[in-house]
Amino acid sequence: MAANYKNLAKWLGVVIAVAAIAAVFALQQPTPRRYPNRIAVHFWHRWGGEWAKVVDNICQRYNESQDKYEVIALGVSGGSDIKFRLGVLGGDPPDVMSMWNGAIPDMADNGLLTDLQTLMSPADKDYFFNQSYPVVRDSGIVNGKVCGVTIGSDLYALYLNVDQLKAAGLDADNPPKTLEELCDWGEKLTVRDKSGNVKRLGFLLNQLDYLAYSFGGGLWDSETQRIVTNSPDNIRALQAISDFRQRMGQDKVQRFQASLNSGSDTGGWPFITGELAMTLDGQWRVEEIRKYSPKMRYRVIPIPPPATNGRPLGGCLTGNFMIIPTTARQKEGAWDFIRYWSGFSDLEASAQCFNDGGWLPLSPKVVQTKTFQKWLQENQQFQTFLDIAASANCQPLPPVPYLQYLLDGVAKAEDRTVRGELSPKAALDDLNRVMQRELAKRKELGYAR
Amino acid sequence: MRYNPGTLRGNRVRENLTGWAFISPWLLGFLIFTAVPFLRSIYLSFTRYNISAPPRWVGLANYEKLFTQDELFWKCSIVTIKFALVSVPLTVALGVGLALLLNQSVKGMTVFRTVFFLPSIVPTVATTVMFLWILNPTTGLINRLLQSFGVTGPAWLSDATWAFWTFVMMSLWGVGGSMVIYLAGLKDIPTYLYEAAVIDGAGPYQRLRNITLPMVTPVVFFNLVMSIIGAFQYFTQPYMMTPRGGPDDSTHFYSMYLFDRAWKYLDMGYASAMAWVLFVVVVGLTALVLRTQSKWVHYGG
Repeated sequence: MAANYKNLAKWLGVVIAVAAIAAVFALQQPTPRRYPNRIAVHFWHRWGGEWAKVVDNICQRYNESQDKYEVIALGVSGGSDIKFRLGVLGGDPPDVMSMWNGAIPDMADNGLLTDLQTLMSPADKDYFFNQSYPVVRDSGIVNGKVCGVTIGSDLYALYLNVDQLKAAGLDADNPPKTLEELCDWGEKLTVRDKSGNVKRLGFLLNQLDYLAYSFGGGLWDSETQRIVTNSPDNIRALQAISDFRQRMGQDKVQRFQASLNSGSDTGGWPFITGELAMTLDGQWRVEEIRKYSPKMRYRVIPIPPPATNGRPLGGCLTGNFMIIPTTARQKEGAWDFIRYWSGFSDLEASAQCFNDGGWLPLSPKVVQTKTFQKWLQENQQFQTFLDIAASANCQPLPPVPYLQYLLDGVAKAEDRTVRGELSPKAALDDLNRVMQRELAKRKELGYAR
Repeated sequence: MRYNPGTLRGNRVRENLTGWAFISPWLLGFLIFTAVPFLRSIYLSFTRYNISAPPRWVGLANYEKLFTQDELFWKCSIVTIKFALVSVPLTVALGVGLALLLNQSVKGMTVFRTVFFLPSIVPTVATTVMFLWILNPTTGLINRLLQSFGVTGPAWLSDATWAFWTFVMMSLWGVGGSMVIYLAGLKDIPTYLYEAAVIDGAGPYQRLRNITLPMVTPVVFFNLVMSIIGAFQYFTQPYMMTPRGGPDDSTHFYSMYLFDRAWKYLDMGYASAMAWVLFVVVVGLTALVLRTQSKWVHYGG
């Protein structure tokens, strides 16, 4: 009898274990397709959380807008470029993917990307080459090939807290005209305690890779097709960063910066919480303020140029660009989706896509639509970013396969300078030396660039 | 019953096959996911490989550039060696010290043991995030405590003087894991040794010096080897807290640079060469420690 019970318990255990495993696998089944009879277009993107919902909505609208394709979105945030490469090399690539434009040149050099011109109709070509913002268009072009088309570009500008400025006797509607004036405002808006510790930072001049363009500098010489590191203009820009940091007190600023909320993709952004009175940040924050602090009074202005030899509306464009792998199974469907989002086929629908995420569009034509104009009326500060995008002083990222190495080097040079380890010139000369050595190494190892 | 050698052999074969069948999932996993990549990385270290294109043979170029042209390689190596030199002796000393304290017969000792062991089972990422809060220069627990004594604490992770030592301090946080092993070693020491020592008139210090410490050396040896390997592979905490290598590269550990070369700059051949240099150093140090064990490790049994 006891043996029977033991046997029964054993079998019961086996049945429960099998049922549990089956249940786990059953729960992990992917969501069934909504349009199983259509051609599937697999779309990978880099967004997660709230942003992924925005992307899902855009995909849903596209799927409802036609009856041939079904776009199936998959968020692969975190190491997305590696996932893309492995997907392509493993023989299971997406049909289309949104990618940081800085990663595109290396992929293009290795032949992983389709030249999107091959998929464009004459009308598409006209829209892309003649009716788009030049800087946005060029950010997806590598070695004359259209490797990426934007579905949301990013630029930086100055956010000003109107109330904090007013309390300090400053008028947000009459903002600084020069960088020097801005620095004065920054100092005036900074609040310190008795010991001199920063309680609120007025402004912090940083990000050499962006600021350099306001000084007429930058990281790329389009004529020689070479990277630029220690040009006189870049040194001037770094000198300005360094001078202002010394003026504000590097130790105090560093301590304050370290205490700021770094996970600031929600309402915890230090500008919203009032810890930063003025700050340089991206255009997606407009939408963020609308969501998390709709009553906040703020202005957005382009970073003012220095008083001498400055360039207004300077900057460098980054963002999400659609790429199609050379081995994609459904290139036509992928291109149709890009056309929808970027405004090749329906400008009003495209405007809705860009407005959903507060992203910069490919073309001024999208901005001129009723949909976009209505949104712009509600989010007037966004106009500043459109002005920067239209400026000749706004440049694409250097289209080089070692861009990440370069950007890390620039950040390190800035860090060494503000810490007082090296002078701006010495730091950038050293960066130039390191980059030349890296390039020589790449050449020796047989890389094309 | 007649003895049948054939049947016996058949049973043994069947038994062996069953054994292999049971071990095969692990064996296959080890071969596919560890052994093959391990061996392939030797080949890759002699190539230029960026994932996107097939590897291309470059001979010793990666090693040559690593040793002769890469300043960051040397910088990161020095940071890592310095970390190993400081943190390994500290963790061993603290682990043994804690184990000795927690080996006393005091009421509620299990509670103390649990308290000291708990940090070592908290996931590394969770611990790191917690430390990011604790070390916050204005709102962090440590600086607030210092503030109450009128001391202004440093910006722990962004001050070049303090950042490295912050990680040394953090490495002591997980000492509870090795402490438990030391404790097990202490429990294994036969009581008759202490009884004999007491009869011979040995005091507590003499018993510690001549019985406890020698008898626990096999465990110290094991933990020492594991700590050396761990110190040279130190990655998660510094990568999460100072992803760019910290102020003046003071927390740029070797594994971080290796990771960046592999996955950020897609320089897989170069990163493989770095991995093999690390492997050789760790194996060399382990061999060195192994060679010295006859001089200081006491296998009482």
